[in-house]
Amino acid sequence: MKPAGFGQQDVPFFNRSFFRSLVPITRIGNGELGGKARGLVLIRDMLASHFDAKNFPGIEVYVPKMVVLATDVFDAFMERNGLLETAFSDLADDHMAETFQRADLPTEILGDLRALAEEARTPLAIRSSSLLEDELFRPFAGVYETKMLPNNQPDVDTRFRKLVEAIKFVYASTYFNNAKSYIRATDRTSADEKMAIIIQEVVGRRHDERFYPDVSGVGRSYNFFPASGSTPKDGVVNLALGLGKTIVDGGASWIYTPARPRAPMPFNSVRDILKLTQLAFWAVNMGRPPAYNPIAETEYLIQADLAAASYDDTLSAVASTYVANRDRFLPGTAHSGPRAIDFAPLLAYGNIPFNEAIRELLSISEQALKDAVEIEFAMDLSDIAHVRLGFLQLRPMLVSEKEVEIRDEELATAGVLLASNRAIGNGTLDTIRDIVYVRPERFEARLTPRIAVELETVNRALLEKNRPYLLLGFGRWGSSDPWLGIPVEWGQISGAGVIVESTLPDMNVEPSQGAHFFHNLISFEVPYLCVAYDNTEGARTRKIDWDWLNFQPALTETNLLRHVCLEQPLLVKVDGRTGRGAVWRTQVAEENAHS
Amino acid sequence: MAYKPYNSFSIAQTQFDGAAKILGLDEATSDLLRNPMREYAFAIPIRMDDGKNCIFRGFRVQHNDARGPCKGGIRFHPQETQDTVRALSMWMTWKCAVVDLPLGGAKGGVICDPHNLSDHEQEQICRGWVRQMARNVGPNTDVPAPDVMTTPQHMLWMLDEFEGITGAKVPGFITGKPVGIGGSLGRTEATGYGVIFTVREALKDMNIRASNTTASVQGFGNVAQHAIRLYEQLGGTTVCVSCWDQKDRTSYAYHKADGIRIDELLSIADRFGGIDKTRAADLGYEILSGDDWLKQDVDILIPAALENQINEENVNDISARVKIIAEGANGPTTTGADAVLRARDLVVIPDFLANAGGVTCSYFEQVQSNMNYYWGKDEVLGKLDSKMTAAYLSVSEMVRKRKLYMRDAAYIIAVDRVARACRDRGWV
Repeated sequence: MKPAGFGQQDVPFFNRSFFRSLVPITRIGNGELGGKARGLVLIRDMLASHFDAKNFPGIEVYVPKMVVLATDVFDAFMERNGLLETAFSDLADDHMAETFQRADLPTEILGDLRALAEEARTPLAIRSSSLLEDELFRPFAGVYETKMLPNNQPDVDTRFRKLVEAIKFVYASTYFNNAKSYIRATDRTSADEKMAIIIQEVVGRRHDERFYPDVSGVGRSYNFFPASGSTPKDGVVNLALGLGKTIVDGGASWIYTPARPRAPMPFNSVRDILKLTQLAFWAVNMGRPPAYNPIAETEYLIQADLAAASYDDTLSAVASTYVANRDRFLPGTAHSGPRAIDFAPLLAYGNIPFNEAIRELLSISEQALKDAVEIEFAMDLSDIAHVRLGFLQLRPMLVSEKEVEIRDEELATAGVLLASNRAIGNGTLDTIRDIVYVRPERFEARLTPRIAVELETVNRALLEKNRPYLLLGFGRWGSSDPWLGIPVEWGQISGAGVIVESTLPDMNVEPSQGAHFFHNLISFEVPYLCVAYDNTEGARTRKIDWDWLNFQPALTETNLLRHVCLEQPLLVKVDGRTGRGAVWRTQVAEENAHS
Repeated sequence: MAYKPYNSFSIAQTQFDGAAKILGLDEATSDLLRNPMREYAFAIPIRMDDGKNCIFRGFRVQHNDARGPCKGGIRFHPQETQDTVRALSMWMTWKCAVVDLPLGGAKGGVICDPHNLSDHEQEQICRGWVRQMARNVGPNTDVPAPDVMTTPQHMLWMLDEFEGITGAKVPGFITGKPVGIGGSLGRTEATGYGVIFTVREALKDMNIRASNTTASVQGFGNVAQHAIRLYEQLGGTTVCVSCWDQKDRTSYAYHKADGIRIDELLSIADRFGGIDKTRAADLGYEILSGDDWLKQDVDILIPAALENQINEENVNDISARVKIIAEGANGPTTTGADAVLRARDLVVIPDFLANAGGVTCSYFEQVQSNMNYYWGKDEVLGKLDSKMTAAYLSVSEMVRKRKLYMRDAAYIIAVDRVARACRDRGWV
């Protein structure tokens, strides 16, 4: 019989001396823990039973201390404040958030939260841990909000108040429009969703007015874009300086394959390296209080540049320096010169068995989930002899094993609308008749935010009619940087059945496999094809038949977008083994099939 | 004042003497603390609605203010006794001290029956009380609050009179004001919630989850209602509630084996907490004699009605299963019954600890009023939990360290704090 102090999954109940104890995970409430929290509990158990720290001297892998507010707390909050009607209404996100701020948290948890506010003196991350994420085995990546708190106010009342505001904000995000659209695409409804909340220490250390980890990372045991010489099962890791928001928002990060940590990224020039590697990083703002805005996710986040990192002395372990007279990058910052964040000191020197630890974590995670996996982590390198690697998340990846063949002759037919040798997904789709695309002649990088807004409207209409569509645009879909691509949230294009990224000369960026957008792409098994705009001789990718596309009559048309609906559905095929994919106009495809 | 055989003040002094002996207080300190420091008695002349003049007697007893301004209610009652008020003022001192509030204890009132007075007459009495006491009360000296048969409206009249006299806005003068005019969110729930915070901590000490317990409650007024609700939210099940039936002039207990439904009972109760017997029977409640609340085979008993409810005659009716008695009312257990309970293996959370949630929230109201800045409900109740839990833990630790009965431990902590304050000030 379990002692009175333990709940489901052997997660003990929160004790008000929590922060003085060695217990990494506790719970408040008796309900479910949600997908993210359950993943962390699994990590806790995995590290205890399968990770032999002796093999990785100098690295401590741990789960940062956390408390989970179980789903029954959410239920009580919603019911006692009469919020369900509001939640399912069409209220705008900010009004939804404000309504939730005015509601009261359940009395029975307030004392524990206050004790937490009294004891915790490090920044905290208030993270969503959704029930549907657990049930549907989907990452729900980037769907709900996370709030970072500096937790450095001297007055406990203020810290408590901020904690309460953050919890209410994450609760409210369950019913933001983006989340509702996302859930709709899973054939469930928001009524099925319940939210647990993780209150977790942020990994990192303080540098003046910034708090951040030296390294954040996302590792995947399956790589959809293996470089030559690597296989998909070699995996891929994205690394960034500062908070992992850089990676999950699709910003510039360092990408490498764990099997070949020293292989350089395929940049063509020094200029490219300096321009396309990470130039800014996210941190928790520990300085002057920002404008009060409890309903903004980024209320306590700041973005800083490499000069700030240099001032904080956090570049030496993660950057290389371009030494002009040798025309090469040297790991570290011992020399003067422009810096590029390439994590060479960490990956090339091997003083710390970092890569080995990552490989081991990916391996044992795969064994535990019996599936390809994605992990998130953050590292504090303040004591180089004792590096602390916080394991932040574990989720399964969906990798299809179906066999799909695309012959060379098929790609040479006149019916090809577009084709690519950089495709993700695996399978055949022959039901899509709608195409929504960004008008190439009107496209400008400065207009990408407007495109995202217009797309949301089109998406909602098609989603309601249950008409998946082929989405075609320029640059990286879902990029947080509007100059790198179209900054859509998944919920704004959740009805897309196929997504095509057409590159441009100045928007030719490797897809970020660590980004939330990418997660959802894989999770919803939406085929993705990357196509070059121009038919460059000898290029790896093929052109798009823009002439045919523009010739089709438009169902709706704006300055920036065009929506056409075909009489015959398209045929989409993607071979996940080779990364080949193509889209045909069906009638011609049928003719080809019979020829 | 009318004569009553039961002498609360003697009891209060006896209780104090016990604590003083354990603490080894010197004679002067004992003498100082076992009697009130100040007592005021005065006349309040009122012109009644029918034109007649009536003289009402008002009073205020300030027991001790070494730790801070006095705090205590003002009651309207036709049969109040001086000794009762003295006892109540002393218990207020200990109550504030055990929860570690920076306050002393006081009590007061007017001999009257508001049932027989019009609103206008009641207003005159309130204003008259303040006119008589204005020099001796105030946000920095003595902060009154509601009590038996006084209401937030009475508090507002008193505040208005005080501000008229002093020529300043001083919302911190009095507590129990309505929310929106200086009152604090959470005040209504505070006493009842405070009882359950102490019960929760007692259960933790015993390594028992609330969801594995049942309770029986005497009373269905404000304290009981909120105690039952929070207990339910923690997972507990209340199987029996007793209350006074005004029509039958007796009390009944309402029992349901799988748990009473608080909202269901509230829907058939009047504003004093009297449950409609007929409708309760229709809803499937078993109607028992009022005293049967005490005999239930439960884990927790919460007397939340009147004093002297657990006495020598019925103390042995308490089930062997009972582990905790949380005194939500003031003085519900007689000295004789207490002696019996001491010998049993159960925890009695004494009244001045268990029901201190109310005065704690009053203190919060005072603080907010003085700042003229009012907190959200989450903040008030979070602080309340924190304060009550800390108070319980201090007492519980004293119980363990010195192997004391909880009532004694709570008294020792409280008396010691007040005695130290008196000594530190150089009074003794």
